[in-house]
Amino acid sequence: MGNLKIYLKQSATYKIYRTCVRNLVDFMDTLGSIIIYGFATLRYILTFRVHRKELIEQCARFGISSLPITLSIVSMTSIIVASQVAPEMVKQGGGNFVGLLITMLIVREVGAIMSGFAIISMIGSSLASELATMRVTEQIDAIQVLKVDPIRYLFVPRILSGLIMMPLVVVVASVIGVLAGAVTTDLTTDLGYRAYFDSVWFGIYMKDLTVCILKAVCFGGTIALISCSCGYTASGGAKGVGLATTKAVVWSIVAMVIWDMLFAIAFFF
Amino acid sequence: MSIEVKNLVKIYDDKRVIDNVSFNVENGETLAIVGFSGSGKSTILKMICGLTEKDGGEIITSKGDIAMVFQYSALFDSLNVADNISFALRERKELRNKYSEKELREIVSKKLELVGLKGIEYKFPSELSGGMQKRVSFARAIVTEPNTILYDEPTAGLDPISSTLIEDYIVRLKEETNAASIVVTHQMSTITRTANKVIMLYGGRIVFNGTPEEMLRQDNPYTKQFVTASLDGPMKMIA
Repeated sequence: MGNLKIYLKQSATYKIYRTCVRNLVDFMDTLGSIIIYGFATLRYILTFRVHRKELIEQCARFGISSLPITLSIVSMTSIIVASQVAPEMVKQGGGNFVGLLITMLIVREVGAIMSGFAIISMIGSSLASELATMRVTEQIDAIQVLKVDPIRYLFVPRILSGLIMMPLVVVVASVIGVLAGAVTTDLTTDLGYRAYFDSVWFGIYMKDLTVCILKAVCFGGTIALISCSCGYTASGGAKGVGLATTKAVVWSIVAMVIWDMLFAIAFFF
Repeated sequence: MSIEVKNLVKIYDDKRVIDNVSFNVENGETLAIVGFSGSGKSTILKMICGLTEKDGGEIITSKGDIAMVFQYSALFDSLNVADNISFALRERKELRNKYSEKELREIVSKKLELVGLKGIEYKFPSELSGGMQKRVSFARAIVTEPNTILYDEPTAGLDPISSTLIEDYIVRLKEETNAASIVVTHQMSTITRTANKVIMLYGGRIVFNGTPEEMLRQDNPYTKQFVTASLDGPMKMIA
């Protein structure tokens, strides 16, 4: 019986089963901590218990430091799309709709999602690694021993800055994206700026703008929450910091795409 | 009575790493906890200050603050020395807005003076040596006037002269604050220079409870092995 047990434990099936169970437990653990810290943070935000100095610092970090990369990514995406679509549309007689198409694409999708990817890579990973390093070097333990609330001090300013700054970043990035589309259209076709901008106004609907802002708020809050939660629950040394950062990036990307899908179903289905 | 620990139990993966450990420390006393690496010494400190949940037993502390000096100082690297020391006074709910900026500056410089450091208020932890970081963490720990101070391997990784300096400050802080102190250490000099009482842990249990002098007398086979750093004895290292 004992030998059979040892044999079964060494079998590939058992190892696959054990890995699956471990991953499932890890998944539920991560999801659970994100939900718990999310509600705890929400309680502080709704009762205006916010660390103002930290909030300003985190807003500067979230908004200003991420702006160059966000603007570059959104404008480059716009250039890629416009350089392929504009000449073709002009050739087919749809030149009057180039601005409309680019604007609709950026406002509805590219502005928010590309900014989200930029924010995850730049801010999400840095939040996760910062908190994970604080965890493994016992700085979070020190905060707790000094009887300072880590949720108020660490989570609230970071998540609130995500909720506030992400819409601003997305709006600025979208405007730059539309402008980049105009320059590309002018360089690749003989359409001219006036025809481009005339059709831009037809591509902007109030509903699209509202959804874009709402989406940005959800993306910003979710990225900050997941990153903080993954960093805060890190364990081990340098390896733990790396794992927490990877987990934060992967979970943030998946969560952002899920949000995007939910918005598409809710507003455009 | 400042700290009383009764029948403390901690279980990790079905193994009792702390098994019915009891001791007490009065105000003005320093207890040294010694033992092999991984014998649960730091776990006891973490249970006393509430960082780790206990699985059994009782920890009774008298009213007041518990401060902890961490093994690697655990200074906040994004804050300068002054902000590190005044952190609890600025951020703790009941202390927030109690002190003006001027008062905070005065408290910080007084605490820094107590640990022999002056004029480093605006330096960041990365600009300080290991010994200086440790002393700043002492200053941060005592800023709320605690009546219990826990030291987790305070002299680990320091050169002998810095270790002596740190030991002197442990004694000085005890005299200044009359706090009950617990020092987790491997170093004999730290035990003899700072502690009034010593307990030794092995297999999760206390195998010696006495004074540093009694420990040095080597009547107990466990302390004899520890003091002589011998491989032969009742304690077996798990390779």
